[in-house]
Amino acid sequence: MTEVTGDVRGEIRAYVEENFLYLHPGVELRDEDDFLTLGIVDSLGFVELVEEVQSRYGVQVEDVEITEQNFGSIDAITGYVERKRSAA
Amino acid sequence: MRGRTLDEDLRGTAVRDPDRAAVVASGRTLTYGELDRLADGFASRLRELGVERGDRVALVLPNTTDAAIAIYGVLRAGAAFSPLNPTIKHDKLVHVLADSGAAAIVCDAAHAEVVGGAVTPDSGVAIVSDVEGQVRDGAPAGVTPLSVDLAAVIYTSGSTGDPKGVTLTHANMTFAADSIIEYLGMNGSDRVLCMLPLSFDYGLYQLLMSIRVGATLVLEPGFAFPGRVVQLLESERITGLPGVPTVFHVLLSLRGLAERELPDLRYLSNTGAVLPAPTIAAIRRTFPNARLYSMYGLTECKRATYLPPEELEARPTSVGIPIPGTEAWIEDEAGNVLGPGEVGQLMIRGAHVMQGYWNDPEATAERLRPGRWPWERVLATGDLFRRDEDGFLYFVGRRDDLIKSGGEKVVPREVEDVLHAAPGVRDAAVVGVADRLLGHAVVAHVSVDGDASLDEAALRRHCAARLEDYKVPRRIVVHEELPRTSNGKIDRRALTEQSLSLQEERLRDESLVE
Repeated sequence: MTEVTGDVRGEIRAYVEENFLYLHPGVELRDEDDFLTLGIVDSLGFVELVEEVQSRYGVQVEDVEITEQNFGSIDAITGYVERKRSAA
Repeated sequence: MRGRTLDEDLRGTAVRDPDRAAVVASGRTLTYGELDRLADGFASRLRELGVERGDRVALVLPNTTDAAIAIYGVLRAGAAFSPLNPTIKHDKLVHVLADSGAAAIVCDAAHAEVVGGAVTPDSGVAIVSDVEGQVRDGAPAGVTPLSVDLAAVIYTSGSTGDPKGVTLTHANMTFAADSIIEYLGMNGSDRVLCMLPLSFDYGLYQLLMSIRVGATLVLEPGFAFPGRVVQLLESERITGLPGVPTVFHVLLSLRGLAERELPDLRYLSNTGAVLPAPTIAAIRRTFPNARLYSMYGLTECKRATYLPPEELEARPTSVGIPIPGTEAWIEDEAGNVLGPGEVGQLMIRGAHVMQGYWNDPEATAERLRPGRWPWERVLATGDLFRRDEDGFLYFVGRRDDLIKSGGEKVVPREVEDVLHAAPGVRDAAVVGVADRLLGHAVVAHVSVDGDASLDEAALRRHCAARLEDYKVPRRIVVHEELPRTSNGKIDRRALTEQSLSLQEERLRDESLVE
């Protein structure tokens, strides 16, 4: 499972860097940093993130799951994907 | 009987029912008693800093209890507020402060740096980078404002040049608020969820209207996490949900929402852009117990029209009739009133029409025209409409090329000017392209200067450093030459069509991957 987690984390980071982070040169994003506080991802960005997670990992994201706890940072998304997969 | 000025009802409810919840934000509840006391205390602090009756005070605040305190505090100091988008950039902030002649600017700690950078030490503008922590004891002594006094200067983008300040008196704003309260049937038992920025008049009026009727406003910093919104609808027993098309499209895409009962949700409202008929049908299926209000307006009069929900079935794409106590009609360029089916400019008459643009008589004359009485002026909206046989209004398009994206106005010229300033860009044209989530997405087309090389990421970065987030192009397409019309102008229509086919291509690619 460790290996899978490593992949998810790396893939999420790559996706965030490619799609959001490049607009904010000089921002050092750590895995635990809050996207919203740093102003990196806006509301539409989160919709894109959710769609990416659904299509890439085949998880079904329920309405109430799109929260800061599950999508607020690289750590949050990694944990969320891991939980959804082990529950499936 | 509601108050003559915006803050009188806050006092009234605070005296009658001090423990009633006024604003809930980030898990904190401010009661009417607390908000009333803090507004007084903040007004005293502003007076101490030299703010006088009639002064303008700029606000750079996210959706927090502090924003509510600041707005009512400014009014209690006898001054007028200018709510600014917290993502405002340096140059625009400098312009707004100079244009409004603001006596003070209020922000939170997160925006202290950009605010500090825009205020020169010798300008005399007081900076307040905290609200609740600065309140003094008691209300300021002095004169209370009249209903004809200035209450707000709201900056809005026009089709050309710098943003213009829409000047509104207490009478303008209380009239507009009461008219909307009337058709929505709002009262003290309402609990409204507002995730629209208070810097946007649609968001601002959720606060003003809630306070006016003694309702509770649940304030969210934004619409980042739709799951949070669904939780709040249930846990806060929300009765009213104002949104823009983007909000409704995102909510409708959620799994499980249609199965929720939401027995308290009484109404939904939409403005910013017209909802497509299939979206309206989907909203009615997802929220069968809530009435949906389709509305249209502009900051210059706050709200112009609304569609009574019972008409939704028969005329799903109409934005309805003039709001209570106002009139609207359609004119041709020569000022002749047009009949059913004919397309012309929508004109508005009523006590909600602004006093003009701050310090800009030329722009004011373009919008405000002589009216029925020697003292009256009516509003030329700049938007093209038609009406049906029964007088219901339909939005046709804009007379200028403004783009409505995610409920916000984007002026192509402004984005183009920023792109022109980027090294290596010869020409730039910005167009709105139909987008599932945004209504319209901002798409830029640029041509390369000589053998410079341009890259989309670097250009978006350049824009992001100089423009509010919602104005940054979602896509930038680099061309060798921009297409031209026969008379040598950049062919915007061709670019819009090109952008559309590019988007379809992307969608096709995505569906192939799946």
